[in-house]
Amino acid sequence: MSAEENPAAEPAPVIDVQGDGRWMSQHNRFVQECKDAEPDVLFVGDSMVQLMQQNEVWRELFSPLHALNFGIGGDTTCNVLWRLQNGELENIRPRVVVLWVGTNNHEHTADQVAGGILAIAQLLLSRLPKSKIIVLGLLPRGEFPNPLREKNAAVNNLLRASLPQLGPVPFIDLGGSFVHSDGTISSRDMFDFLHLTAGAYRTISTALHELLLQLLEEMPQERRASLV
Amino acid sequence: MSEDSNPAATPTPCQDIQGDGRWMSLHNRFVSDSKGKEPDVLFVGDSLVQLLHEFEVWRKLFSPLHALNFGVGGDATQHVLWRLMNGELDHISPKVVVLWVGTNNHGHTPGQICGGIMAIINVVHQKLPRAHTLVLGLLPRGKSPNPLRERNASVNAVVQAEVVSLSHVSFLDMDPGFIHSDGSIAHQDMYDYLHLTPQAYQRVCQPLHERIKSLLDKHAP
Repeated sequence: MSAEENPAAEPAPVIDVQGDGRWMSQHNRFVQECKDAEPDVLFVGDSMVQLMQQNEVWRELFSPLHALNFGIGGDTTCNVLWRLQNGELENIRPRVVVLWVGTNNHEHTADQVAGGILAIAQLLLSRLPKSKIIVLGLLPRGEFPNPLREKNAAVNNLLRASLPQLGPVPFIDLGGSFVHSDGTISSRDMFDFLHLTAGAYRTISTALHELLLQLLEEMPQERRASLV
Repeated sequence: MSEDSNPAATPTPCQDIQGDGRWMSLHNRFVSDSKGKEPDVLFVGDSLVQLLHEFEVWRKLFSPLHALNFGVGGDATQHVLWRLMNGELDHISPKVVVLWVGTNNHGHTPGQICGGIMAIINVVHQKLPRAHTLVLGLLPRGKSPNPLRERNASVNAVVQAEVVSLSHVSFLDMDPGFIHSDGSIAHQDMYDYLHLTPQAYQRVCQPLHERIKSLLDKHAP
């Protein structure tokens, strides 16, 4: 599906309807961070990424890896694509990029969302040919089974099938433990049945951190990065 | 302003546009929580209330006060009003209700938003005649000066004036000075120029904790 056909692969900034320009302020801050920092790991995506940085687990596990967090709550694939094309990849060469986006693409079908994520992965691969791109699967959401769970699962299945065509792009589904046998998600894991609690972040971060360490070890280093 | 003509004071549930029914799930959980628990303090409002529960500061300062958290991200005054009128106050008798809502009332005037806050105060007073309602001032938002900062400041001024004569209500300004001399708000305080970081929550919650404790002490046994 080409970008012309897929609205989820159309780069688009968030229009400021509320009146305080917060989205652009955050984007501008990230562009500035690219000028100042030399991250080894870049996290990019929506609130699932953004909120990770507000939890202890970021300071403990990801800051020591020299990670930058370019998450913005509410972002769709279109918004992330726009940000990456408009400064958020300038001057940095992260060895690993973690991409987590797609759950907010309410206007798009599962096919379109997967296409949008692929478009971002392709952009990252072309801009950072020496870097490893990791794509995280969309988590289930809602207290009970619902159409968005099915849609997110469909996106994940499409990604599992199509990401390998781009090269060695690991796809990691961290959502395995959240749906209980009765089909419910607990507010102890997702306080609003979408966003993760501190405990849930800890659970998924342990696995993700292990993978990052592994990948960083495997990769040829341009310079020594100190890993705590 | 009558409730009929003020959308901010017209009880309105959130429509499930996205398709996973999360707002109603949260409301239902709060209703069932209110059947099982006996909080002394009830926090109600939007994401600024909801996210407070997710940080260490809740466990340290507010759990010991036997507090419940009925915050829902995105809620405006009309949503909180609906929730309180549809079960969330039915089985509990907190001594103090902490209300923090209004920043999501997009498209409403400060007068309308104040009307919404007053409608909530009235419902709380009807259902819990012995409770004290502590209204928290809206915080500034956005990285630089903008119309929403002005709107929120106006809401605070109007609400403060409205409640000064009510013995069962008080107002607490929650801004410890987030706006720097150049007019900016730092991302170390508001990571998205709206929501508070854990360190900012620590700052705003100290005086809040003190005020709640003194209200609890004053409350007739």
